[in-house]
Amino acid sequence: MTADPSDGIGDPSGGIGDPGDGHADDQEIPPEPVGLLRRRVFSTDHKVIGKQFLFLGLSFLAVGGIMAMLIRWQLARPGVPVPVVGRLLFGRAGGLISPAAYTALFTMHGTIMIFFAVTPILIGGFGNFCLPLLIGARDMAFPRLNLASFWTMAAATAVLTASFFVPLGPPQAGWTAYATLSTAIGAPGVGQTLWVVAIYLNGASSVMGAVNYITTVIRLRAPGMTYFRMPLTVWGFFLTSILNALFVPVLAAAMVLLFFDRVFGTQFFVAGTTVGAGGDPILYQHLFWLFGHPEVYILIIPAWGIVSDLLSFFARKPAFGYRVTVYALVGVVILSTVVYGHHMFTTGMSPLLGESFMVLTMIISVPTSLLFANWLGTLWRGAMRMTTPMLFCLGLVFTFGVGGLTGLYLADVVADMYLHDTYFVVGHFHLIMAAALLLASFAAVYFWFPKMFGRMMSERLGKWHFWPTFVSLNVVFMGQLLIGYAGMPRRLYDPSAYDFLRPLLPLNRFISQAAYVLGTSQLIFVANFFWSLFRGQKAPKNPWAVGTLEWTVASPPPHHNFDRIPVVVRGPHELGHPAAWALGKDWLGQDEGPARASADNSADAPPEGPTDRPTEGGA
Amino acid sequence: MHIVLPHDASLDGHLVDGVIGYLTLTTGLAFLAVLVFLLIAIVFHRERAGRTRAHHTHGNRPRDRALTFAVALVMFVAIDVTLAARAAGELSRRFWHYPESDPNALRVEVTARQWSWTFRTAGPDGRFGTGDDVVTLGELDVPVGRPIYLKLRSRDVVHSLYLPSFRTKIDAIPGSTTRLWFQAQEAGRFEIACAQHCGVSHYKMRGLLIARPEGEYRDWLARAETDSRLRGEATLPAAGEATGGWDWETGR
Repeated sequence: MTADPSDGIGDPSGGIGDPGDGHADDQEIPPEPVGLLRRRVFSTDHKVIGKQFLFLGLSFLAVGGIMAMLIRWQLARPGVPVPVVGRLLFGRAGGLISPAAYTALFTMHGTIMIFFAVTPILIGGFGNFCLPLLIGARDMAFPRLNLASFWTMAAATAVLTASFFVPLGPPQAGWTAYATLSTAIGAPGVGQTLWVVAIYLNGASSVMGAVNYITTVIRLRAPGMTYFRMPLTVWGFFLTSILNALFVPVLAAAMVLLFFDRVFGTQFFVAGTTVGAGGDPILYQHLFWLFGHPEVYILIIPAWGIVSDLLSFFARKPAFGYRVTVYALVGVVILSTVVYGHHMFTTGMSPLLGESFMVLTMIISVPTSLLFANWLGTLWRGAMRMTTPMLFCLGLVFTFGVGGLTGLYLADVVADMYLHDTYFVVGHFHLIMAAALLLASFAAVYFWFPKMFGRMMSERLGKWHFWPTFVSLNVVFMGQLLIGYAGMPRRLYDPSAYDFLRPLLPLNRFISQAAYVLGTSQLIFVANFFWSLFRGQKAPKNPWAVGTLEWTVASPPPHHNFDRIPVVVRGPHELGHPAAWALGKDWLGQDEGPARASADNSADAPPEGPTDRPTEGGA
Repeated sequence: MHIVLPHDASLDGHLVDGVIGYLTLTTGLAFLAVLVFLLIAIVFHRERAGRTRAHHTHGNRPRDRALTFAVALVMFVAIDVTLAARAAGELSRRFWHYPESDPNALRVEVTARQWSWTFRTAGPDGRFGTGDDVVTLGELDVPVGRPIYLKLRSRDVVHSLYLPSFRTKIDAIPGSTTRLWFQAQEAGRFEIACAQHCGVSHYKMRGLLIARPEGEYRDWLARAETDSRLRGEATLPAAGEATGGWDWETGR
C-alpha cells in the first residue's frame, strides 16, 4: 500500500484560482426568515430552492414517463384502446390514441423530459443544493436571482401545461419544433405558440441559474478551496453553467424569431413554393442545434461530475487522474460547441461542412474516453461499497458505455445516411439523456437525500428499485437500437404502415413490456422517497464517511450552512489514505486541518504551501 | 425475432453496411473489454472481510496518465480516424460524387408535400417541362443499372426521402433544393418512407420504388407518358425562385 509521491495529503493544489482571495470569508450570516411563505415558498435559501426544483422535476418526470408508456402502448398495440386510463385521457377517440394525440404525446414527452424534468432535477435541484455546500459558502452569490430563476421556471411549466387546453390541441411539431412544421404552415394552433413561450421562459430560468452558479463558484469558494480542490460535482455544475450561459440564449433567439413568425407574420423560417416566402427553415435547425448539441453536454456534464465523485467515494479511493478528468471535461465543453452539424448531415449540407463536423464530432471521443478510462481507474483495486448510490453509478458506467459508443455510428456520415432519423438515434440518445441521466439523478437523490432531509433512504428498497430499473432501461433502449438498425424511422404513429417494419412488431411489443416494467418499478422509488421523508432513520452528519464539506455540517444543514466558513486544506477525494488509518478511519475531510500534521507524523515539517495552513480564526 | 438490415438492392449500400459492421465489431470489442474490466473490479475489488483497504493512488503518475491516454488514443485511431478516413473517401468517390454530367443517369424531380411524394421524369424526349413529362404520385419508377439522380423540393414542411433498401436518405426542404443519387442493382418493389416528422399523418407518407430492367422500364415509360394525368398537377409555381441553380425544368 504505497502512496504516490505526488500525493501528499493537504497537497498545495494551487495553480489557477488563488483561494482565499478575501471574498469568500467575509460572507455575512443571513438572518433566518420568519413566516411560512418566506421560508418555504418564496425562499431565497439555495437549499429550499434546490428542493423546489427537485420536486418540480420529479413531478414532471412522472408525467413524461407516463407519456412514454402511452407511446409504447401505441407502438405495441397500434390502434387498440389504452386500458384503464384510455377512456379518461382519450375519451372522444373511444380510448384509443389518435394520430394527433400520438404526435402531441411524443412532442410533449421530449419537451417535458429535457426541459422540465432532467434540467430541474440535476441542474436546478442538485446544482442549487450542492454548490454552496460543496464549496463552503453560505448561499448562492445572488439569492434573489435564484428565487427568480425558480419562479420563472414555474411560470414556464404553467404556460406549457396551458397548451394542453387550447383549441387545436397541444403542440405537435416534435421537441425539436423544426420550421416550417412549427410555423403557421404546419401548426396553426395556439398550442405551439404557448410551447415557444414556455421554452423561452425555461431558457430564461436556466440563464439566471447559470450566471448565479458561475459567480458563486468564482467568488464564494471557501479559503483554500482552489479550483483543483473542488469536487468534480462542482466542476460539472460550473462547466455546465458556462455552456448554459453561452448557448441557451441561442435557443432563446430561435424562439423569439419563431414567435415573430407565428404571431406577427414575419418569415424568418418560412419558405416554400406554397407561400412564396424567402426565409430559411434550415436557419432554424442551425440555431436549434447550435444550442441543442451543447444542451446534451449541459445535461450530461453534471451527471459525469457527480458520478466521478461518487465512484471515488464508494470505491474508497481517490478519483483516478483528477486533473485529467477536469481537463477532459473542459475539452468536452469546448468541443461540444463545434460539433452540432452532425444533427444535420441529411439536410444536404456542403461536403466541406459535413466532413468537418464528422471529424470534430469524432475528436470529442478523445476527452470522453479519458473520462471513462479514469472512472475505470478509480474502481480498480478499490474497496467498493455496494450502496444504492454506487449501484446507480456503476449502472451509469455501463449504459454510458453503450450510449457513447453508439454515438460513433451517427458521427460517421456514411452510416448516418442510413441510421439518421431512425430508432437507432432514439436508442442512442435515450441511453445517454434518459438512462445515464436518470441513473445519475437517482444516485444523487440516494446520496444527498440524508443531507437534504435529515433522514436516510431505505437501502433495501433502493436496491429493489435499482435492479428492475437498470435491467428494463437497458432492454428498452438497446431494443430501440436494434429496431433502428432494422430501419424503423422515428415518430411513426403506426409502423405497420410499412411492409418492411411489420416483422418488428414482436420486438416492439417486448420493448413496450420492458417500458411498463421500467415505469412501474419507479413506484418503489416513490414509496421509498416518501416513506424515508417521514419515517426514515435519522441521518448522522456524515453517513457515507466522505470528506467533502457538505458532510461537515448537520443533516439537514442550518439556514446559513456553516457556522464558520471552513478552511480547505486538501482535495475532495482523500479516501483510503495511509495517514487516515492512523486516525482509525479511511478518509480525511477537506477541512481537516490539524489532523493532517499528526496523521502523517510530520508535525515539524514545514507547511507545503501558504494556503495549506488554516489561518487563525478560520473565517 | 429476427433483426436484420433491410434487403440491400443498391450499388453502394454495401459500403454503408460495411461501416456499420466495422463499427459493431470494434465498439463491441471495446465494450467487451470494459465489461470484463468492470466485472473483475466488481467481483474482486469490493470491500469485504479481509479487504477493507483500497489501494491508495491518485492516478497522477506519468505512468497512469500514459495508460489513460493510451486507451483514448487506441480508441481514437482504431475507430475514429479509420472511419473518418474511410468515410471521406467513400463520400467523395461515391455518395457525394453526383452524376452531374453522366448522360446515362435518370434525372427525377421530387416534390414532397404533406403527405405524399410526386416524382417527375423528363419522358422520352429527355427534356423537362415538355408535354411528355411523366409524373407519378407516390411511385418512383427506375431502371436497373443506371444512376438515378434526384433533386428534391418541398412545398410545405421538411420531409425526408428515406430508401431503407438503398441505405440512404435526404431531406426535402421548403425553399431549397437537395439532391441524392443511387443505383438499383436488382429489379423489385421497395418501400419509400418519410423519415422526418412532417405532421399528423407523417406515418402515412409512404411511397414505392419500382425498379425494372432497362427494356421493361422503357416500355413502362412509353405507357406512362400517354396516361400521366398528374403532369399539370405537380408543376410548381414560382419554382425558379427556389431552385438554387437547378436548370432541369427548362430542359436539357
